[in-house]
Amino acid sequence: MKTSTKFAIASVAAGALLLTACGDDSDDDGDNTSGGGGAGGGEESVESSGTLSFYTDKAAWEPQFDRVSEVSEDEIGFDLDFTGYSDSDAYTAFIKQSFRTDEKPTLFTWHTGDKLGELVDEGLVAPTSEIWSEAISNGDIPADLEQYYTYDGEQYCVPLHVSYWVMYYNTHVFDEHGLQPPQTWDDLINIADTLAAEGVPAFYQTNILFSFVWFQTLLAGSDPDLYEALATGEASYTDPGVVAAMEQWREMMEAGYFSDPGAADDPQVLLNNGDVAMLNFGTFFTGALNELGMVSGEDYDLFVIPNVDPSLEQTSLIVESGPLCAAEEADDRAEALNYFDWWVTADAQSAWADARGDVSFNPGAEVNDERLADLGEQAGSDDVRLIERYFEATPPSVLTVALDEFGAFVTNPGDPMPHLEAIQAEAEAHWANQ
Amino acid sequence: MTATFAQQEAPAGTGRGSGSGGPRPYRWSAWGFTAPGVLIVAVLLYLPFLWTTFLSFTRYNGLGSPEWAGLDNYQAMFSDPALLTSLRNTALWVAGTIIVPVGFGLLIAVLTYNMRFGAWFRLPFLIPYAISGVAVGVIWSFILQSGGALSQALDTVGVPGADSRWLLDAPLNTFVMILAAAWQASGVNALLFVIGLQSIPKEPVEAARVDGASGWRLFRSILWPMLRPLTTVVVGLSIVASLKTFDVVWVMTQGGPGRSSETLAITMYRETFVDSRYGLGGAVSVFLTVVTLTASIAYLRRQLSERKAL
Amino acid sequence: MTKAIRPIVLGVLGLLWLAPVYLLIVNAAKLPADYSSAEVWKPAFGGALLDNMRDAWERADLSVTVLSTAIYSLTGPLIGVLIGAGVGFAIVALRLRHGFWWFVFVFGGTVFPIQMILMPLFVGYADAGLYDTRLGLILVYSVISVPFSAFVMRNFFSGIAHHVFEAAVMDGATTWRIFWRIYLPMSGSALVAIFILQATFIWNDLLLGLTLSQSDDVRPIMPALTSLQSTYGGSAMPVVLAGGLLVSIPTVLLFLATQRIFSRGLALGQF
Repeated sequence: MKTSTKFAIASVAAGALLLTACGDDSDDDGDNTSGGGGAGGGEESVESSGTLSFYTDKAAWEPQFDRVSEVSEDEIGFDLDFTGYSDSDAYTAFIKQSFRTDEKPTLFTWHTGDKLGELVDEGLVAPTSEIWSEAISNGDIPADLEQYYTYDGEQYCVPLHVSYWVMYYNTHVFDEHGLQPPQTWDDLINIADTLAAEGVPAFYQTNILFSFVWFQTLLAGSDPDLYEALATGEASYTDPGVVAAMEQWREMMEAGYFSDPGAADDPQVLLNNGDVAMLNFGTFFTGALNELGMVSGEDYDLFVIPNVDPSLEQTSLIVESGPLCAAEEADDRAEALNYFDWWVTADAQSAWADARGDVSFNPGAEVNDERLADLGEQAGSDDVRLIERYFEATPPSVLTVALDEFGAFVTNPGDPMPHLEAIQAEAEAHWANQ
Repeated sequence: MTATFAQQEAPAGTGRGSGSGGPRPYRWSAWGFTAPGVLIVAVLLYLPFLWTTFLSFTRYNGLGSPEWAGLDNYQAMFSDPALLTSLRNTALWVAGTIIVPVGFGLLIAVLTYNMRFGAWFRLPFLIPYAISGVAVGVIWSFILQSGGALSQALDTVGVPGADSRWLLDAPLNTFVMILAAAWQASGVNALLFVIGLQSIPKEPVEAARVDGASGWRLFRSILWPMLRPLTTVVVGLSIVASLKTFDVVWVMTQGGPGRSSETLAITMYRETFVDSRYGLGGAVSVFLTVVTLTASIAYLRRQLSERKAL
Repeated sequence: MTKAIRPIVLGVLGLLWLAPVYLLIVNAAKLPADYSSAEVWKPAFGGALLDNMRDAWERADLSVTVLSTAIYSLTGPLIGVLIGAGVGFAIVALRLRHGFWWFVFVFGGTVFPIQMILMPLFVGYADAGLYDTRLGLILVYSVISVPFSAFVMRNFFSGIAHHVFEAAVMDGATTWRIFWRIYLPMSGSALVAIFILQATFIWNDLLLGLTLSQSDDVRPIMPALTSLQSTYGGSAMPVVLAGGLLVSIPTVLLFLATQRIFSRGLALGQF
């Protein structure tokens, strides 16, 4: 009987703990809401060195974070205790629930748009307005980015990364077919035609998760105002401009420009093998290509996708910015904010850009990859209109429906109207609640 | 040796019946053996699920406090046309799982039963279960992608169907995923059947053999009836597992394209984790749980309980 | 004639079953730059497999997780099997009152979708101080093993005639002794089967480990491994496969090592 009694005792004890714990929960909740998440953190003294817990859904970036963590330990005495999730949805749920417990995430990565807005509404993330105003005035963060981090006039979090959505291409495939990077949309279509005639799909596309990419490119390149109006609920998905973009997309699919949407291979593998000639992706993708041993400028290169509508004055460039946030009520909130002070500096960003092989939001950061460095400069010029990625710009509930509908559309290209109507129905439901 | 075994299934709790009658000399001891299991399951599995059940009557996005919403979530769930697809696919999974991996597992077990090197012949079917999910997901994705390993193999052999879009067209995608799941589950079922076969005493089998029974007749008249306790286990577990089908589908199609391969568990996950509608996700999971429990109790009661009215 | 047919049928089916395993191995043995989905069947042998495995091992930092995962995979099912067997024993041999319904209660534990109990479990764990502790994970892995174990053992015990129990009682044995010395030893193959199935399940668990732990020395191996694969760029396909293959070695060995037990004649028949 011995062992079983022991277990019985252990489980009863665990049960009691859990029961009391559940009781505590509701109290915590009460505190959170009634306290309005005011100035937490408290008066405790600020440590000058230590380890900050850090959570992210970008688990594959662990080696890069480790390198930056070493640099920060040298420079400011703080390193990061990394915890990575590879499933973004599970991660979101975990972070949200963690605010109800004592295991609050000191530092964590998140998504801009409504997802960050939710946390701000509940007073869960530490405001960073001071850091922002200082960083903008000394040129560490471009003022353009501020809008994505501003809620009710205050800033929250700092940028973790910035990626621009561009076209990567396999230079060997281009050389073989005597192709040059395009200057205009017509050039691009000519390239796609040439490749289609040779039986090479010009562009990559997928029906899972990234099914929105071509919708975003086509609409933002033909009517960026309409694209932005969709995101704010001012325009309808059944607007003739949206329908036209979808029709164009379908024509491109029918012309054989795209790879199979159900391909399970990693896009970098397809590009490397020349199974597709071009990839419409964020600059974070450079890291994946380098991983395969492809060399920038030799094996692959990139260009900014020309506008579909040549009469537009500025080139639409899709930008994605992921935030690095601090929990308002974490014990080491003050230390986390100090970490942000360091994070936005050119030094830190040079280390980060170097580790990631990506661009940095800080124009002062050294970017080793020439093409990316050029792109960073171009993005800051007046010829370019930065447009927020569809993934962040669209309210989450609408996004889920849209991703499914786009996925179905690319799998079985047909009349776009039923798909658009389904998205619009969800959009109307969403905006009616606001 | 044989004497120690009941010739027919001797279901538990039978004999004395339930409820009234008979002395129960081991009441306290029985409690001592049951309590640890009951307690930890109650605390670590039931309690969390009660919270989910509570959430199903609220509106909650994971932040702040849940707001009472009555039956709204249940209403929303049943008025969503996607639920029908989900139900249909789940039904396909249940039927498919009971037919393919259970049937196949039984076949493997019977074929390797009482055979030289039987355990080694069984091994290829067990290995898939031992391989980690990450690798299995990747492998099957590239077997089943259009033009993937399966299509290439069919093409080489000259069998038609090489140009099928396995994962893109419904309901084909559900069928092929059932087969992919069967690849992993058949061996486990075979192993459970083998345990059942091993516990069958030799004498009645030998006696039947002497009487000239062999092959199908031997199986039908001796092995199958004596295998019943483990058949119940295999079928019972298959019903539960298939109703909760999640992993395979999530890895291969995430329920797509266009929600065409969604199962109830995928719907539940989608609402809860992707859309942060904890209430609606909770409602789907309560519904799923009720269906699963009803199905298991109906099945188990028939199989496990004594014939007399319960 | 039938004697020859059986091995042939089994051999052909077995080879068919191993085809995906073949794909796994040859593609894990390709250089990342050589991998192409158009040529998945193409054989590849040689050093790339070990390089890819080493790469996966270092990238995902698997070495720190192996020990704790081994602890969970051994203790979890062991505790779960014993507790589950206890439930089965009480219902079948001791004829627990309303045994069927108590059994349904325990079995009900497998009915709940695991995804839905994760978050409340995490909150409970965090508040009870069990979050990110080995004890917490051992506890949850034990519980997860109980319903399956109770189900199999309950049914297995029902194959043992009740007069075995009565005879032992006549000899003056306590119920604990009957359980420990008679019923459990008679159930060798069933116990081993439950154990290896649950140990494999725990070794391969992703969700519970991911949600209930955080630090390197507590987190099990699968969350570490899946970090190779991610939307935001992970490792090349052969490296992911090599990693998957590498961590499958212990569970495959476990199955190999226990095969003898499932050979004819070792189980109940010997009693």
